[in-house]
Amino acid sequence: MEAYLIAILIVTAIYVLLSLGLTLQYGLTGLINFGHVGFFCIGAYAAAILSTAGSMPIAVGLVAGMLLAGLAAIPIGLVALRLRDDYFAIVTLGFSETVRLVITSEGWLTKGVQGIPGIPKLIDGVGTGPALMILALVGFANILAVIAFLRIVKSPFGRMIEAIRDNEDAVKALGKDPARFKIQVLVLGAVLAGLSGGFYAHYIGYVSPDQFLPIVTFYVWMAIIMGGVGRISGALVGTLLLMGFLEGSRFLRDLLPFISAVEMASIRIGAVGLALILFTIYRPQGLMGDYTRRK
Amino acid sequence: MAFWIELLISGLVAGLVIGLSALSITLVFGIARFPNAATGDTMTVGAYGALLGHRATNSLLVGGLTGAIAGAIVGFLGYWFIFRKLAQRSNVALLVASIGLAFVLRAILGVSFGHSQQVFQLPLVRPWRIGDVPVHPNDLVLAGACATILAIVFAILHLTPIGRRMRAVADDPALARVSGISPSSVMTVLWLLAGAVSASAGIVAGIKTVVSPEMGWDLLLPAFAAAIVGGIGSPVGAVVAGLLIGVVQEMATPLVGFTYKIALSFLLMLVVLLVRPRGLFGKLEGAR
Repeated sequence: MEAYLIAILIVTAIYVLLSLGLTLQYGLTGLINFGHVGFFCIGAYAAAILSTAGSMPIAVGLVAGMLLAGLAAIPIGLVALRLRDDYFAIVTLGFSETVRLVITSEGWLTKGVQGIPGIPKLIDGVGTGPALMILALVGFANILAVIAFLRIVKSPFGRMIEAIRDNEDAVKALGKDPARFKIQVLVLGAVLAGLSGGFYAHYIGYVSPDQFLPIVTFYVWMAIIMGGVGRISGALVGTLLLMGFLEGSRFLRDLLPFISAVEMASIRIGAVGLALILFTIYRPQGLMGDYTRRK
Repeated sequence: MAFWIELLISGLVAGLVIGLSALSITLVFGIARFPNAATGDTMTVGAYGALLGHRATNSLLVGGLTGAIAGAIVGFLGYWFIFRKLAQRSNVALLVASIGLAFVLRAILGVSFGHSQQVFQLPLVRPWRIGDVPVHPNDLVLAGACATILAIVFAILHLTPIGRRMRAVADDPALARVSGISPSSVMTVLWLLAGAVSASAGIVAGIKTVVSPEMGWDLLLPAFAAAIVGGIGSPVGAVVAGLLIGVVQEMATPLVGFTYKIALSFLLMLVVLLVRPRGLFGKLEGAR
């Protein structure tokens, strides 16, 4: 039971990094990133390849994953500047699918659909001790991310990106260039997603293309929409709810054994969809939000 | 040479699927003003509807009608229970809700029909040979059916009073409103039409390949790409761009491989967005 709890907390902490990244991009800046999983995937594969085939230290792989994910965000950002927000959503969705196609096809590097097994653990060993150490490590990254986030919100940069979200034309009229800020925000969010992917690869120990389907992006969307868009507390609460939901659906199958595994997968997708619809219609501000201005 | 002509033909058939789905997206985008991500899964609904209809009666025509009606119903239900309530909200809310609807549809289909791939049991027909090129009679039937559907849609848009109202709303919603055009009747017809059109795209895709709960979602990106390349809000553009993307994808397969052909539509879309954001046939003032 204890081991299970720690395992869930680790996965939650990994997802919190994703939620914080998306909160920065969508919640604060209004960028509709439907390709979050693409950056997550880049981070995971960079960590996996460098630590197995490249036999590099884990830290190198994590940093490389963050850098590569951040770099990948720059061309996306340059495109984004010229697009209306809903077009940007489609482009980022296409980006994440393209990333998945590339890792599926380029078998010489990524081992294609077979995936990469045997990725070393963050901390070696079995039992509660090493698991707690991993949790501490990922938790520490979370705390750093939250502190950075709080500082961003209170900084001139934070006021600027919120202004871009609320009224981009006004920002332009004041002589500021929203483009630069949007790219920076995208890169920051992507770096967080890349780090999250690196942790994920080292925690699960195995990566394959079908772990990086668009549904992961929408898990994160569901988390921040349930929690409350644009607030740290929303990202945290939402991610906890998401984990409760994902794990709960696993228990539900133990209770109701007549539901097959594939049916459960369908039901899970349907529940995500229903949550997205109902929250959008009835509680757009999320559970934690009093943010009623945003439509 | 015969090889390339064969690719061209299969590209045109694939292009009909993309063109029809892009037509549905572009109609919704033009009038309800958001990119409807549930289009792909409405296609799947159509394919399963047609599969059931075909099994029950052994007639492809009845099957096709069943599928199209199922799609129209889903389109209308989506409007009535979701998009109608979000009409005053930002396009982000509508987009997110449409993703939600897409997932719900896929889940319902997955639970009801299972995840194994199903096929239309059609009699095997020997392909005709024109010169060196094999031509499948079924492809011709499908192409004819698509042409008929397109003719019906364009006739509704351009020859009927409700079509004229729809085009008026697409042109300028405020002006349409003060001219006494009721948004709710326009929207109802729009969603019935968009649902039926996406469903027919799904039916053609299902007959050509296989039917599975994921098929529509996988066809969504090329459909968006065609809608954008053709110019958002332009029905002609959507169909032309769909055919174009279908042909480019098939003709490029020997060069770039099977997996990357999907990425091609994405690439084409990016280039068009950056170079000519209004697309091939879009209106000049259309914002990107």
